[in-house]
Amino acid sequence: MTYGIGIALLLGIIAYVAVVMNLGASCFWHEALIVGAVTGLIVGNVELGLMIGATLTLMSLGMWTYGGATIPDFMTGAILGTAFGALPGVGVEGGLAIAVPAALLMTQLDVLGRAITTLFIHGADKAVAEGNVRAVTWWHLLGQLPWGLTRFFPVFLAIWLGAEPVQNFINWMPEHIMKAMRVTGAVLPALGFALLLTMMPLKKYWPFALLGYILFAYLNVPMIGIALTAVAVGILYINLKEVRARG
Amino acid sequence: MANTQVDQNQVLPEYGPVTPADIRRAAWRHNLTLQWSWNYERMQALGFMWSILPILQRISRTKEELIANMQRHMNFYNTNPAVGSPIIFGAACALEEKGQGEVADSLKIALMGPFAGIGDTIQAILLRPIVAVLAASLAMEGSWAGPLIMFLFGLAWFALKFPQVTWGYKQGVNLVTTVAGGALDKVTEAATIMGLIVVGGFIPSIMARVTTPIKYVREVTVDGQLTEKVVELQPALDSILPYMIPIVIVGFAYWLLKARRQSPIKALLWLTVLAFACSYLGIL
Repeated sequence: MTYGIGIALLLGIIAYVAVVMNLGASCFWHEALIVGAVTGLIVGNVELGLMIGATLTLMSLGMWTYGGATIPDFMTGAILGTAFGALPGVGVEGGLAIAVPAALLMTQLDVLGRAITTLFIHGADKAVAEGNVRAVTWWHLLGQLPWGLTRFFPVFLAIWLGAEPVQNFINWMPEHIMKAMRVTGAVLPALGFALLLTMMPLKKYWPFALLGYILFAYLNVPMIGIALTAVAVGILYINLKEVRARG
Repeated sequence: MANTQVDQNQVLPEYGPVTPADIRRAAWRHNLTLQWSWNYERMQALGFMWSILPILQRISRTKEELIANMQRHMNFYNTNPAVGSPIIFGAACALEEKGQGEVADSLKIALMGPFAGIGDTIQAILLRPIVAVLAASLAMEGSWAGPLIMFLFGLAWFALKFPQVTWGYKQGVNLVTTVAGGALDKVTEAATIMGLIVVGGFIPSIMARVTTPIKYVREVTVDGQLTEKVVELQPALDSILPYMIPIVIVGFAYWLLKARRQSPIKALLWLTVLAFACSYLGIL
């Protein structure tokens, strides 16, 4: 038994809204507990949604997107787990057995969504160079599309088509392409840093960048410690420079 | 502004004093949409730029000025969006309003790292686990109160962004008004230094995942017996220079942009090709 296209659309939209909310206002709207409960309401089994959502939320304790890292997508997992779990004969355990692998697999699409948005900032660069405020606005606001659609389509298709075609598609996707996308995602921040460094007076002040690197790479100082060192060094540098200027 | 003799026809219609309504508009943009265009390359940069755009439009007399002001804010930016970024944003609004755009740029770079550290810690280690455990235990008993409590906490968390913007704005104004002209150069220089130290630590920390899986098997004789020994490359690289691969890649991108004068989009293509090739060949 599967769901009709109406339910599939609705759940797809919930996934879209949840991930975009997480990019802005948040309100914890993307938490597995909340989407699980809402999905449960839609498929007519709130208790199941609460159970699956709560389990997934507890699983994700301590997981955080530090520096934009990709973590398992328990939001999408909660929607799929609850929807399939509510089918006759599946239940909480069956739902979780779908939710957890789905959450892990969704990390691939998370990487894809984040990578596609990279094209949007280059579009925005062009619009900025032309002074086209309206185009810049659209590039920013529509930046949500790759994020939202990489959640909408998997949820919509999975709910509409049922579990079997999803499994077949996952088996068909070659592993080396998924791996290449992961690697690309990890490499691309290099461009952002390089762009930033071209804007800074690196020639004059490069030893300070080296200092930051040493603090992190050799002394394992956390970012807050590096920042405090930066404050101390910045102030010392200015003071000593003044002393020397006075002779 | 440097260019005071501007043809009246070229003056943009939005040019004029910054109003409290402009600040409110900017704050809403920031608090609702900061990460909508989040991407791997410059992360929250476009979101920040679009949010501060109402202020930039007020302070820019001509289209050329507006373009230059917008371009300054298109640089890499990433921090905690809920705790920290609103403060930085408020201060940047104040500095832009007072014509201290360069200070705003340096301040963003200097503060984004530490605020990300503080904000992520508060949110990921303190607030979210406490709320999540409370809400999940209620939900396990089948109570609607679980998700509801979680949502209400989230709502309060969102609402708290607005006083942060206001506070940051006040601090930004203080910085400009209490510090005399010459001293502002010092603040800029100090902020540049702080920014570089933070970026120096940021690069290895954000790109720590870029490592090589290369290993080779060597046959060694131990006590007269031939055994296979697996030697991994990554620990060897780490002992020469930790985070060597991220540094080489950033150096490569910097070289493309600076020495080869490649456009960012071309550099993006080169990096993507490089990543795919290295992944396929098993180097990364």
